[in-house]
This record gives sequence, structure tokens and C-alpha cells, in this order.
Amino acid sequence: MIETAGLTKDYGSGRGLFGLDLEIRQGEVFGFLGPNGAGKSTTLRLLLDLIRPTSGSARLLGLDARRESVAIRRRVGFLPGDLALYPKLTGSAVLRYLAQLRGGVNPRVLESLVERFDADLGRPIHQLSTGNRQKLGLIQAFMHEPELLILDEPISGLDPLVQQSFHALLAEVSAQGRTVFLSSHTLSEVERVTHRLAILRRGRLVVVDSLENLRKVALQRLEIEFAVPVAAEAFRTLPGVANVQADGNTITVSFEGAADAVVKAAAAYEVRAIRPREDNLEEIFLRYYQGTDTA
Amino acid sequence: MSWSTLTLAYRLRFVSTASAAAGLIAVMVAVGALFPAVGHTIGQLNLPKGVSELLGGADYGTITGWFGSEIGSVYGPLVIAGIAVAAASAATAGEEENGILALVLAHPIRRQQLVAAKGAAVAGVVLTIAFATWIGMILGVAAGGGGISLGHISAFTVQLASFGLASGALALALGAGTGRHALTVGASAAFLIAGWLINGFAPLTGATDWLKYLSLFYYYNGHDPLSNGLDLGGIVVLGAVTILLAAVAVTGMDRRDLHG
Repeated sequence: MIETAGLTKDYGSGRGLFGLDLEIRQGEVFGFLGPNGAGKSTTLRLLLDLIRPTSGSARLLGLDARRESVAIRRRVGFLPGDLALYPKLTGSAVLRYLAQLRGGVNPRVLESLVERFDADLGRPIHQLSTGNRQKLGLIQAFMHEPELLILDEPISGLDPLVQQSFHALLAEVSAQGRTVFLSSHTLSEVERVTHRLAILRRGRLVVVDSLENLRKVALQRLEIEFAVPVAAEAFRTLPGVANVQADGNTITVSFEGAADAVVKAAAAYEVRAIRPREDNLEEIFLRYYQGTDTA
Repeated sequence: MSWSTLTLAYRLRFVSTASAAAGLIAVMVAVGALFPAVGHTIGQLNLPKGVSELLGGADYGTITGWFGSEIGSVYGPLVIAGIAVAAASAATAGEEENGILALVLAHPIRRQQLVAAKGAAVAGVVLTIAFATWIGMILGVAAGGGGISLGHISAFTVQLASFGLASGALALALGAGTGRHALTVGASAAFLIAGWLINGFAPLTGATDWLKYLSLFYYYNGHDPLSNGLDLGGIVVLGAVTILLAAVAVTGMDRRDLHG
């Protein structure tokens, strides 16, 4: 559904997007993660021909993003990161205009979206809260039942109930075989809904994988409580150990692979409790974000 | 051309356009009503030639000169150009800077279609103001006791509308070509004010007389349409400038990255 080859937008001084190679399959909900300024919005704008690449190319729905942009946009729903709407118009007037640009939409689909998000269409945009404006942004992106959805920070400003509705909608859309490309700077926004995700840092792709695989490569952690304080050095030199933290009688060991060596080393002392700590995905993402990952 | 974009762009300018149109009519009626009381007195004024040229000859002793100075040289072009530049810059660079165009252009509409529709809406705004000027001048001249034929009032209105269209096309080209709102308004205003001054002062000396041909004001009012009727040559030049700038606008946005 989306293929990019060496897609580059060079703004100079190291800013922009560099050599992006990406393939997103039909029916996928694909998360696109990265800190602010990593190049996520630049990628989305390149896909929609709002800006032009310095080099490389992109294809959406089998069509060239540059030459066949209008045909692509007919079949794509887009929510920009910094959503702006005509402030003097009501939500209803804005949606009517955007629907007209698409040659009309199915009124039943529109009604169901308005109902699902409990959107306020009667007031002028400038009187709406950020969350209520975001609801309109989501409605306009979904109202023509696009084959591909490109959403930049979609739950920004939404309350938890509406976030839930949005996630349910994403699941329905995916089940229908439609594709979602979802950009965010926080893992929690995409964790529950994405099949695969990519992490972007300083305009370059760092990793593309499923959440399951990312969890597999995550460090395991054991929190071991001893009867007396134990020197952390006893664990640092063990094979696979990445980090050891000591706090009073407790030592937390982060390691790759099997726990055998750690458990056997702990058995040399009086152990009161061993508690496995959950893989911390946020830590993995922070490592990628901060560029401390060597993978 | 996107009809929905055209109608929306016109609708967004309707309140300011209608207000300006109503104000223009009221001012022209007031100007006309004042003439019987002050025309003979003010007609004796001996203004410096430079000031007189800026005010279209400043022949206040006749109703044609009175309207030519008050409306034709200052108020009419100021209002129509101001409204045209504001409408064109807001519809292009304004919407681009505040991020609205990023959403609109994610829909199946070509940039050329979008700019053409915005340009048509600006033309609609200009023609509304021109129509109000025509109505206002008919009423104003009647209030002043008559003295300008309907044909000459219509000729003046056509010249003014052509000038307004060219001014709007200038802002449209700058707005669509740069995407910068302040730059568009500032550069358009600077060009138009410079043109007004050049048209007034350049003919004062033989050496600079030719500069008047660079001013849009010359093609609008240089022939004094209220006294002499339609200036076809001026209309052709203003029309050509409008078409050229509109073409620049339509192609200008297509060749660059969108801001906002």
C-alpha cells in the first residue's frame, strides 16, 4: 500500500528525512514513531505531495506519489498533525466543504462517525476545544471510507473515552482490509493498535519490526532481594548482563538471554525474593530515540 | 476550477465585502450631497501642482472633478485595491500559513484548480465592490445635482474594476508563489502606493514622465474616464496584467513545497 525507496527531503543542517525505505502492507495498522523533529510529518507530507522530495520516490496504492497524487488523494484519508480548520465556519460547514471536494460522501457513514465521536457540528470552529476540533479532523479523514488512512498524532487532545472509540474504529478499519499509517511520538498511542512499527530518529529509519519481536529482543530484568546488602560487582561480569543496580538489600539485574547465570550467582547468597520485572518497551524506545542502541 | 472552493472563498469574504460596499455607497452619497454646498468655494483653491496631480487634477469646481478627486483618485482605488489584496492574500498565503491548505490539498484537488477558484472568488469580491461603486456614484451624482452621464459613470466603474482585478491578481501571484502572508500584503501595498505616487509625480518633469507607464493607476485613471469615458487601451493593459499575474499564481504554487 505504501512503498518508499530512498525517500529524502534535505532541509540542510542535518534536518529532514534521509533515504527512507519502507513497505507497508494492505490491512496493516503501521505505527511510525519518533521524537519531535525526527521527520515523521515530513514523511507524511511527502507521501501526499504537499512537499517534494530532494531524491527518492514513493508509491501509494500502486501509484506514483508525485505524478498521480490527485488519484491517490481521492483514496486516502489524512489527518494532519497540526490540524487547522476554517475558524469562522461551523463543523458542519467544514465537513460539507471537504465532502464536496471528494465529490460527496455516504451520509450514513458520516452520521455514524459523528455519533461515534459525539462531535459538535453546530458551533463555529473557533469556539471548539482542541479535542472537539480533533474529532472533526478524524471524521473528515474517515468519512469517505478511504482505502488508506494517514494519521499524524491522531489522539492528540482526545479524552480517554474518545481514544477508545478511535482505537475500536482502527480495529474495524483494519479488519475490513484497509490500511492505516499512524504517526506518533509516544509509544502508548500506538502500542495497542499497531501490527508493526518503525522508529525514526534524526530523519533516519532506526528499526522496523513487530511489537512482539521488539519485546523478544528486550532486556529481561530480575529484582533480587537478599538478606544483607550484596556487592553489585558480583553480577556485572556475568555473561549477558547489561546493567546492575543496587538499592539497599535489593539488586536489579538487566540481562539478555537465559537467566541461568544470574540465578546461580544469586544462590551464593541468602535470597529472600526474586521478582521478574516486565519488559519495559518504553526503555527500548527511549534507547532508539536517544541513539544509544547499538543494534 | 473547484466551484465549492470558489463559493467558500467568496463566503468567507462576504461580510467584509458587503460592509465595504455599503460604506462606499454611503460615502459617495455624502460626497455628492456636499458638492452643492462646498463646490463653488473649494473650486477656488489653488493647490500645488504635485498635490493636484495626485488628486486627479483636483478640479473641485465641477461635479466631475469633485468625484474624480474624492472618489476616482483616492477613495475608490484605495478601497477596491485594499479589499482585493486582503482577499487574495488571505485565501492563498493566509490559509497556507495557518495550515488549512495542508488539509485541503490532501483532498483530490489540483493546486492549479485551487488557486484558480480562489482567484475567481477574489474577482467576485472586486466586482461586488465595483458594482457598489457604480450604484453609489449614480446616487451621489444625483444627490449633487447631476452632471455626469451614466455612460461615463459606467466607464469609470469598468476602469476601477479592471484596476481592482489587477491588484487582486498581483496579491494572488505573490500569495500563491511565496505562501508568505505578511510579504504578500506588504509587497502588494508597496507596489500600489509606489504606483499612485509615480502616476502623480512622474509627469511633473519631462525626464520622469515615462515612469507613469509603470503604474497601474495610469491605465486606470490616466485617461480620466469620468470626463472622457472608457479607455480601451488602459483596460487592455490592465486585463493583460491580470491574466499574466493569474497565470503566475496558478503555476507558482504548483512548483514549490507547501508551508504550514
